[in-house]
Amino acid sequence: MYNQIIIDNFSNPQHTGNLELADYEIEIGNPVCGDRIKIQLLTHDNFIDKAVFKAWGCATSIATANIFCDSVCGQPINSITQRSAEHLAQMLGELEPSQHHCLHILTQLHEKLAALLKAGVV
Amino acid sequence: MKNMNLHNTLIQSGLDPVKVALSSVKQLYAMTEPQLLDFKFALIAQSFNFHYSNNPFYRKACEDKNISSATISTPADLIKIPLLPIHLFKANDNYKLLSKNLNSIELEMRSTGTSGIPSVSRRCSETVDNVILGIYAMYREFFEISKGAGLYLCPSNEEIPEMGMIKALNLMAGMLDTHKFMVKNETFIPEDALEQLARWENNFDRHIIGPPFLINRFIRFLKATDTRLKLDKNTLIITLGGWKRFSGEILSRKEFNQECVEYLGVDPRQIRDIYALVESNVVAIDDERGVKHVSPYIHFSVRDPKNLDQEVAVGEVGQLAILDPLACSTPGFILTEDLVRLLPKQEGDERSGQRVEYVMRLPESTEFGCCAVNLDKQLDNNEDSHANACPVIV
Repeated sequence: MYNQIIIDNFSNPQHTGNLELADYEIEIGNPVCGDRIKIQLLTHDNFIDKAVFKAWGCATSIATANIFCDSVCGQPINSITQRSAEHLAQMLGELEPSQHHCLHILTQLHEKLAALLKAGVV
Repeated sequence: MKNMNLHNTLIQSGLDPVKVALSSVKQLYAMTEPQLLDFKFALIAQSFNFHYSNNPFYRKACEDKNISSATISTPADLIKIPLLPIHLFKANDNYKLLSKNLNSIELEMRSTGTSGIPSVSRRCSETVDNVILGIYAMYREFFEISKGAGLYLCPSNEEIPEMGMIKALNLMAGMLDTHKFMVKNETFIPEDALEQLARWENNFDRHIIGPPFLINRFIRFLKATDTRLKLDKNTLIITLGGWKRFSGEILSRKEFNQECVEYLGVDPRQIRDIYALVESNVVAIDDERGVKHVSPYIHFSVRDPKNLDQEVAVGEVGQLAILDPLACSTPGFILTEDLVRLLPKQEGDERSGQRVEYVMRLPESTEFGCCAVNLDKQLDNNEDSHANACPVIV
């Protein structure tokens, strides 16, 4: 049911946590029944120094939060918002139909980060 | 320990005692109380040994309390089994609860209360086998349902997949001839429900199935339009999902029953509530007297909330701990946030095993309800938005 990328990131997440002060904060979720993810980022010189998350929901969504954090650490902020849809799909590996909403979650995380950048929320 | 021997005999014969129990609900309820407790104990002890051996997080919790497989040797030791507080299923790091690799997980189910944080339970194939067999066995035992039409006053699984309450109710649909989900796109139109019941009249026994507040919502409509239905003599009004609304208002079971009698034209014996939790595989179902019977292979231990190492006496209110041997992917030993009381066996009640009455959610609980309360809120919000809408002249 789960590919190895999801298993590794769910079973051994490296980026769980909470920051007292964050440069960026992204929160997504369905208030009725869905997954909830909160990401916090620390930046330095337009690079992401640290990324942490808290997530509640299915295993794939929790893994997605960890994958996102892992992929942005040490990266220039602008490059993250320019990732293609194919690139995002590859980040999660092959998903089953019931897990596909997590690709939407990953896309939303990138879109929200892009929107924060555009609005100059730093 | 005759039934420990029965348990061992089943294993030696190559049978799975849990599967045998699941297919023998009637026979288990017919055992004497000590026989049933011994057999149930054997199932729970076997489950404890499995999780103790395979779940590092749970094993550490046991070792911290000096509990090992050797400690759990008689039914009197059941109280020593360490419990997982139910909030752990909502925790950010609930992967620790798994006794098996994520790769063996087949189904994730969830429930979301007033906090909006989902409680997620993960079931492996073996647990899915167990829970499905267990739910069907209990539906057959208490509802004896195999035909008819089900008016589901809730959304379909297609609209909210993974929701435990809907999944459990939806299992019943397979036993019926036809069914319809009456909540669509977070909207419930009582006129449509009424029309559907009329369409089924004289063709099927008509059953109404859903969370209490939604059936209550339908009855409010019948009341407002002064409509009194006369459903069928085999009709069942089946409720699941708790009795507290998002607003905090508690629906009175007594009033609910009276209104079902008055507006749906059923007898009180036709109104049946189910107690269930997404984190557990138990279903406790009302018999025709409105008394809830616990699944005979699962043990309820009702604890003193001020001293959780102690059980309260039958009839006294306490905090519910569930010992569930059906759970293979996560330990099924759960401390709930529900206050219940165990009821004594009444004269004329043939079944052995435990009877339970739900009282309320623990007052200090941070939230209440399951996905049903969020549905309730959503429907209220939709109605409010329509009520405030600018009238449009067409």
